[in-house]
Order: sequence, then C-alpha cells, then structure tokens
Amino acid sequence: MANLLALIQNETLKVWKKKRFAVVVLILLILIPIFVYANLKIAQNSADKFHADWRSELQSRITDNTNALSSDRIPEEWKQWRKALVQQLQYYLDHDINPESPNAVTFTRRFMDNAVSLFVPLMVLAIASDLVSSERSSGTIKMLLTRPVRRWRILFAKLAALTLYVSLIMFTTVLLCYLISGLVFGYKGWGEPVFVGFQVQGADVDTSGVHAVTQGVYLLMQAGLIWFSAMVVAIIALMVSVLVRSTAASFVTMMATIIAGTILSNMASSWQSAKYLFNVNLELSSYLRGTPPPIEGMTLGFSLAILGIWAVAALIVSFTVFTKQDILN
Amino acid sequence: MKSSWLWRLLSWSTFVCLLVMITGFGWALKDTWFPNKGLELPQASTKPEVATGGDWSAKKELYVAALGDSLTKGTGDSTGEGYVTRVIDQLSKQLDKPVYLVNNMAINGQRADQLVNRLDEVGYKNAIGKADIILMTIGGNDLFQIAQNGGSLAEGGDLSPELLSKRLPEAEPRLKAVFDKLRELNPTARIIYVGLYNAFYDLPEMISISQHVAEWNDYAFSLAKADGNATVVPTYDLFEFSLKKYLSSDHFHPNAQGYTRISDRIVQALQ
Repeated sequence: MANLLALIQNETLKVWKKKRFAVVVLILLILIPIFVYANLKIAQNSADKFHADWRSELQSRITDNTNALSSDRIPEEWKQWRKALVQQLQYYLDHDINPESPNAVTFTRRFMDNAVSLFVPLMVLAIASDLVSSERSSGTIKMLLTRPVRRWRILFAKLAALTLYVSLIMFTTVLLCYLISGLVFGYKGWGEPVFVGFQVQGADVDTSGVHAVTQGVYLLMQAGLIWFSAMVVAIIALMVSVLVRSTAASFVTMMATIIAGTILSNMASSWQSAKYLFNVNLELSSYLRGTPPPIEGMTLGFSLAILGIWAVAALIVSFTVFTKQDILN
Repeated sequence: MKSSWLWRLLSWSTFVCLLVMITGFGWALKDTWFPNKGLELPQASTKPEVATGGDWSAKKELYVAALGDSLTKGTGDSTGEGYVTRVIDQLSKQLDKPVYLVNNMAINGQRADQLVNRLDEVGYKNAIGKADIILMTIGGNDLFQIAQNGGSLAEGGDLSPELLSKRLPEAEPRLKAVFDKLRELNPTARIIYVGLYNAFYDLPEMISISQHVAEWNDYAFSLAKADGNATVVPTYDLFEFSLKKYLSSDHFHPNAQGYTRISDRIVQALQ
C-alpha cells in the first residue's frame, strides 16, 4: 500500500512538473474573460431591447421558437427540439421564475453546459493523452518497468493521478468561471431556483416530475455529471496512450473522436445505433437541464451505462496490453 | 524537501476536489431517480408592470404590444421590420417621446381561435397588461381556411368565394372573443385592429372575395365601435390596383413598401 501511494505521488508530481496543469489554468484564464465579455455584450443588447424586463424577453424567445415551427425548411428533429424548449420556457414563465437571472452562478452553469462536449475533454486530454506514450517516446518507460514493481501497479498509479487531476481541473474550471464572471455579473445567485426533472419524450415534455433546486445544488450536480464524462474521456485516452506510441498521434486520435461525437450528436438522430458510441453520450448535463437528447430513447441511465461499459472495456484493454506488451525500440 | 511539501498540498486539494465531484455526481443520480419534493418557489421580487391608462401626453414613455398573425410578424418584408417596428419609430418621432415595443407575439399562420387560447398564457397577459397601444392583425387565416374548406394554400386547395360567404359568420364570434379578452386583460389600452385586404384581387374569379373581406372588416368595425377605445385601420384599398407593387413574392404578404403604407395609416390613426 505504501508502495502504491509512493507510485501515485511519483506520477502526480511528474504531471505537475510537466506544467500541464499550469497550461490548463492559463487557457482558462484567457478564455473565460473572452466568454464573459461576449456574454456581457449579449446581456446589454437584450437589456436595450427589452428594458431589463425578463418576462418579455422570455415570451419573445417562446414566440420566436413557435414561429420557427411553422417553417417547412426546418428538419423534423429540430422542430421537436424547439417544441420541447418552448414547453420548458413556458413552464418557467408560468411559475414566474427567470431562467437566466444575471449573476456569476448562472454564467458558470451556462459555461459548463457548453464546455462539456469539447472544452472539458480537451483540457482532460492535455494531461491524459501522453501519460504512457510520453514515457515511451522519451525512453523513461524502461527505467520505470525495470524497477521491482508490478506493471499493473504502475498503470494503476497513473490512473489514480489522472483521476485526481481530472477532479482538480473540473473544480478549477468552475471556480475560475465563478470568480472571473463575478467581477462583471456579481457574486450572487447561489439560492436562485432552477427547475430540474423535465422528461422529454419526442416533442412532448412531461412536467409531472419537475421540481426546483437552488442554483448552487444544480451547479454541484452538473459538475458531478460532467466530471463523470470527463473521467470516461480520460480513461479512454489512457488506453489510446497505451496503444499508440506517439503522443501527437494519441492526442489527435482522441480529439478526432471527441469532435466526431459532437458532429454526430447534431446529425445522427436518424441513425439510431449511434447512441451506443461513447462520444455521443458525453453531454450528461443536458439530462439535468432537460433538453432533448441527440437520439431518441437516450436517458441519463442509458448514457451512464454506455459510458460505464466503454470505460470498463478501455480499462481492461489498457491493463492487459500494458502488462503483457514487450517494450522494444 | 520541496517535492514532499508540494505532494502534501496537491494530494489533499485534489482529493477534496474528487470528493466534491463524487458528491455532485451522486446527488445528481439521486435527484434524477429519487427526487425530493423540491424547494418552495419564492415570490418574484418584482411584479409585472401594469399599464396605468390616462392621457398619453402626460406619460414619459409609451408601450406597444403586437399580436396576431404573419402580417404583424412582418412576413414578406425583406427588411424584417414589418409594420410594427415602423409604427413605433414614426410614433416615437412624432410624439417626441420614447415608444417601446413590449413584445411582438405574432405567430405565422395564427387563427383567431388560436389567439384566444394563447391570451390565457402568462406571457401574453404580462405583455398586454403593460401596453398602452395594442397592434393586431388576425382573421386572415380564418377566412382563408374557410374559403378553402379547411385546407391550406400549400395543400393546393382552391379558394371558393361562395363557401366564404356562406361560412363567414362562423368566424365572427372568434374575433369577438379576441376583443373581449383583450379588454379584460387591459381596460385602458388603445386597440388598433389592422383590417384585411384581398390578396387575390388580380384574379377575376376572386374579385368577389373583396366583398366578404369588407363584411369582415365591417364586423371588426362594429366590435371596435362597441368597445369605444379601439379602431379599425383599413388596408384593402392600399393593394387593390397595385398588388404586384406592394405584395411580396409569395403574392400574399405585403413587401417592405406595403408595410410602410400600412404603418403610415396606423400612425395617422393614432394621432
């Protein structure tokens, strides 16, 4: 056990000294202010149009989406999506709750929703994708494997370090988002109500299970779900890193897979079996929000199961290959 | 040793992060599958504003709500403004005070009976309650569907003036319901009903439709008279001799010029 802990310490410090986490923080520090500024512009624009009357802004969104439904050029699945959205917005309006109260917590919530499909995986890959392959390209893998330690322990230590870093990245992202956007939007909003529990079936939204939670709780649940999908990405990236020699190749493979997932989620609604791919299931936070899933029939339980199966399979492959493979070069 | 100090800091902070994330994840699962009752909804801190009525000249600013069908939406206008934005701009200039649009809640293809149902929605109540002026076009789709025996233009049904004249009285109660409901929601606003026109005047067999459109406009006029603070702005004469010039390429909705002419009339009526 002490031996394993020492290995984890070793791996964690190695990643730290490669300054990967510093890069992630730097990216966040540059990108978040850009999004905050863009969001501020949008907020000012709509304040001009609606005189800070969120009710008429909400009604306007409902009307716009209703109008789009009558267009013949819009594909059927987009119409379903809009119909569901209209019912959801109407629910907020009926209960006199502003879904977009202007504060730092709302911004963070929105940012995380948008970050789940590309931005979070990218940050995870910055750490995960060269965990094993870099040892191989720099030759240090021989040093590592010639020590009197079982191979699976080495990989397990890497996995543990990866888990810790994924958690740290998620936490840092939320924290920085809140701190930076709070400068502009104010550090309030933890207690604002948000509705969860919308059940989307095709174009219909079942509101019988809808209940309100505070935005703080919502943010915590959302971060937890995104953390899970980030962990799955990390585990699969670890597998690719075991299988592929070069760091660049492993990074590109993973990135291409993730991007393919976002493209597929946008167009694959008629290709039913695409829902068994892990990369269209990453947007776990959308179930919390209650937006219709990319392919009909997907639920939180379904996505968790698919992601879980992929992760377990990736772990089996990684550990089998890593413990058996010959190291040549 | 520097690295052992770093390790202690890193291990503890990342471990705490991990616990937070697992808590959040577990909470999300619990909330999805075994939801609690949910928290009590707070009363909104600010209530929707309500129009005060009274003399316009005493007011600092005026609020306009627009509702109805595609004509109010501005369909066919290449500038995207429709008559509503034009009315607001002109009125603001002429009255020399800000005139704001509360909301344009028009929906393409909407019929009067659908509008009556929508007037029960909170968003409509808020916006109409706040308005000093209500702009509205409605009924065109009702008449159109009656003349086609329920079909739509896209389905290729032929228009039948006879059917329209026979069944026109069916649609009239719907318009009355709209007027009644609006007045119920806002006792003080001035209601402008923009009259219908015959978009098929250039087809010889469809000229007779104009007569039924006039009947409809007459009926709207009687409702407006009964109301006292409402008026009908006629538009049928604007298009009859120059349909091509003022209608858009769909041969049904006005184009930018057509909307400008409608808005000129509305502004005149409002002064």
